[in-house]
Amino acid sequence: MSKLDATDIQGFVLRGYGLPFARYMFLEIADAHSGQAFIGRLLDQITTGEHWDAGKPEWALNVAFTHKGLVNLKLPDASLLSFPVEFLQGMKARGEILYDTGENGPEKWDAVWRDGRVDIWLAVNSKTKETLDAGCADLQRLMEETGGARVVDSQDAGAFFIDGHWSTKEHFGYTDGFGNPDFLGVERDTQPGQGKLTADGTWAPLATGELLLGYADEAGELPVAPIPHLLASNGTFMVYRKLHQNVATFRRYLEEKGKLYSGGKEKLASKFIGRWRDGTPVELSPDAPNQEIVQDKRRNVNFTFGNDQDGTRCPIGAHVRRMNPRDAFGFNGRLINRRRITRRGLPYGPYVPEDQPVRDDGEHGIIFMALNASLFRQFEFVQQQWVEYGNDARLGNDKDMLMGNHEGRDRYTIQGTEDPKNPPFVCGGLPNFVELRGGDYFFLPSMTALRMIAAGTVDPR
Amino acid sequence: MANQSGNVYGLTILSPILQDPNAETSHNCALRMKLATLPRDESSPFARVSSTHMARLVVMDDVVYMGMPSCEEHLKSQYLVFETNFDGDLDTYLALMAREIPTEVDGIWQHCWGYPGVQDVGGFISYMKKCQITTTFYFADVNNKTVQQTLKALQTQAAVAEFIEHNQGRTPAELQKSFANFLQMLRNAPPPIPGRPGTGGPPRIETRMKWATRN
Amino acid sequence: MANINYKTYAMNAITPMKWWKTWIVRVFFFILGAVKPLQKDLVQLSFIHFARWVIIKRTKFPHAAQQQPKEELKYDYLLFFSNFNGTWNQYIDAFSAVLSRGLNAIWRWSEKFPGSVPVTPFKQYIAHGQFDTDYYYTAYPYAATNDVKAAHRVQAAVEAFEKECAGKSPEEFARSYLTFLVAVQCDLGQTGKAPVGT
Repeated sequence: MSKLDATDIQGFVLRGYGLPFARYMFLEIADAHSGQAFIGRLLDQITTGEHWDAGKPEWALNVAFTHKGLVNLKLPDASLLSFPVEFLQGMKARGEILYDTGENGPEKWDAVWRDGRVDIWLAVNSKTKETLDAGCADLQRLMEETGGARVVDSQDAGAFFIDGHWSTKEHFGYTDGFGNPDFLGVERDTQPGQGKLTADGTWAPLATGELLLGYADEAGELPVAPIPHLLASNGTFMVYRKLHQNVATFRRYLEEKGKLYSGGKEKLASKFIGRWRDGTPVELSPDAPNQEIVQDKRRNVNFTFGNDQDGTRCPIGAHVRRMNPRDAFGFNGRLINRRRITRRGLPYGPYVPEDQPVRDDGEHGIIFMALNASLFRQFEFVQQQWVEYGNDARLGNDKDMLMGNHEGRDRYTIQGTEDPKNPPFVCGGLPNFVELRGGDYFFLPSMTALRMIAAGTVDPR
Repeated sequence: MANQSGNVYGLTILSPILQDPNAETSHNCALRMKLATLPRDESSPFARVSSTHMARLVVMDDVVYMGMPSCEEHLKSQYLVFETNFDGDLDTYLALMAREIPTEVDGIWQHCWGYPGVQDVGGFISYMKKCQITTTFYFADVNNKTVQQTLKALQTQAAVAEFIEHNQGRTPAELQKSFANFLQMLRNAPPPIPGRPGTGGPPRIETRMKWATRN
Repeated sequence: MANINYKTYAMNAITPMKWWKTWIVRVFFFILGAVKPLQKDLVQLSFIHFARWVIIKRTKFPHAAQQQPKEELKYDYLLFFSNFNGTWNQYIDAFSAVLSRGLNAIWRWSEKFPGSVPVTPFKQYIAHGQFDTDYYYTAYPYAATNDVKAAHRVQAAVEAFEKECAGKSPEEFARSYLTFLVAVQCDLGQTGKAPVGT
């Protein structure tokens, strides 16, 4: 396959920046003409996938559109109608499919998502708070100058600064950021275990078309994409979800159940996710955390479940096992390869150390973003079938323990052995640890597509 | 035997549907309307033909035209497809249908050519066999458990999961006593009802013991 | 929707075959039936309760009464009936991903079959030949075939445990109970409604 033109692809798609500060601004377009002018002015500031020869930039800028946003930019009807159905409908309309009901339903969302009109996602990632504010102020000025858009809401997010350095922990105390997939042609620090399994047990990158439009996917065809080719190529779809975390409930639940679980509280926490809170994969080290493994790039995502069919090391319903079953469903992992998503995101809200009091109703959680060529086949499938349901894992209707919308009745079974330190254990009475506060589906165009949108020259053929 | 897999029989019947140019509503439309009103849960007629695992009724209007260069052709009659998967042998099943759900069978098959009614069970069985098509290949994931065994197992599974959840951390003596009571309750539980959306059977078997304070 | 009854989907599909190709499909099915290991992938996928293929020769459409007009057809027809769990897309995606050779062996003799890989033309072909179920009944609507198999394992484990722990002391009972727990711990998933079909 041909080499990817990284300068045509937005940087956010190709890499997690690892910059500690972020602000996601949600814009409403004033009218097509001035909206196009605004985008035109943004173009040379947008961060592409080009190689950073001089180290990380001070800040990065990226842009994406909802379907409504593209409608308001007056793309031709034929193009607008050629987008995949789920993107056309938007995330709110897909609520039943995604189990965004009850506690996760739109009535509980932030106002901007519940009834606002979001056209554009404008994301600034930066090294410092000052750069962030300055950058956003510049963008605000640009909006006013062109009269093209206005900010209807903005969401700050940022890494925690713990013990003198930037951490990748999130509010429940878990170390995050492992396991994003490898794709053919995407330059990256490859780690064994990120890609797909091959017949001889090694790992290979996934087809480019699982991430980017315009390339062959794992099924040997091109994913559904809007017309014309130039609008779609090198672009991708993103789901943005603001996930509130009930930190107090989680800590209380872990404390309570930790007393009853003979392996102890930290081990119990590791069984919820499939990683110890320091990041050690349970499958490789079920009895104790092991920083050596965490720091070793060749090991920290390199494992399979083939020798753990009964879940006695990593429980069958654990989060990492649900999100990437690897070889757990047999067929050498072939049923998994079209269901991988690329995660970006940062926690939001101030970090509260374990020994400090915290409330559920504080503003804290995680901004979850996933990139994929097909929302329907990738994100929506994983959310519906693997997070909120368990049949593929042979767990019936059981949901992901931390992420699931438990609706007041659900349980999580931790498989064990007759060893008293690793007993079978059932966690009942599961509350919703995570609650959805809004989000939507976005299209991240390539630079070429952005130029066409800005110039109003999208031509559907 | 192609129609059978283990103890499960896969019956496929295509009954040609009457065509009456003088009828106000054609038979296949009337049949569709009838099928739309049949209840699908525990009040389904097939719940009473209780050896039925799964059954469907489909009005097949015509064959399909795949497009050039294939030839276009059409059926002269529509067919009522009856696909069912049940325990035991064919004759017993058809006789059960005639006995348990005669009204429903009449209501459906009266729209079909040559239907003799269910009064004469032998005649009914012959008629159905005349319209039977031999299954070429039949796959049954679970082919050695009856409907009743399956429903009972589902009831047990749900009850066991609850028992385990609510009896964690008990002393051996408490656990043993609790489990003995649990087994008793399982034994005495009324048989689960086929077709009911639920874990089978009336209100869940109560396994929460009165003195449960933990979890 | 009458195609779906809670966790199970009733799919019906018909495809025409030139009459002189039918015997090939019969031979394939004969081999599949006789050589059990060939079915292992189907069993491993584990989301079909019951499925069947039915060949109707062009002269063998049932004729139940004198006055019924006799069919005059050029093609034989292959009927397919499946009772499966999961969504329509998920089902076909999975088969195309791991059982494409078997699917091709069955359907390549049908008119204008595009092959089971890649999946999109395959889905279009199935959609074209699929006809909707009018009435669908299942005795256990809340249970997928995985749930059914798990339930049978739990039932067997309970019966074995009941026999085994008769007359034991509390301590011995507790030890046996732990063994019992380990035996059933993978099979305790709840049953219930299926996710919305997509």
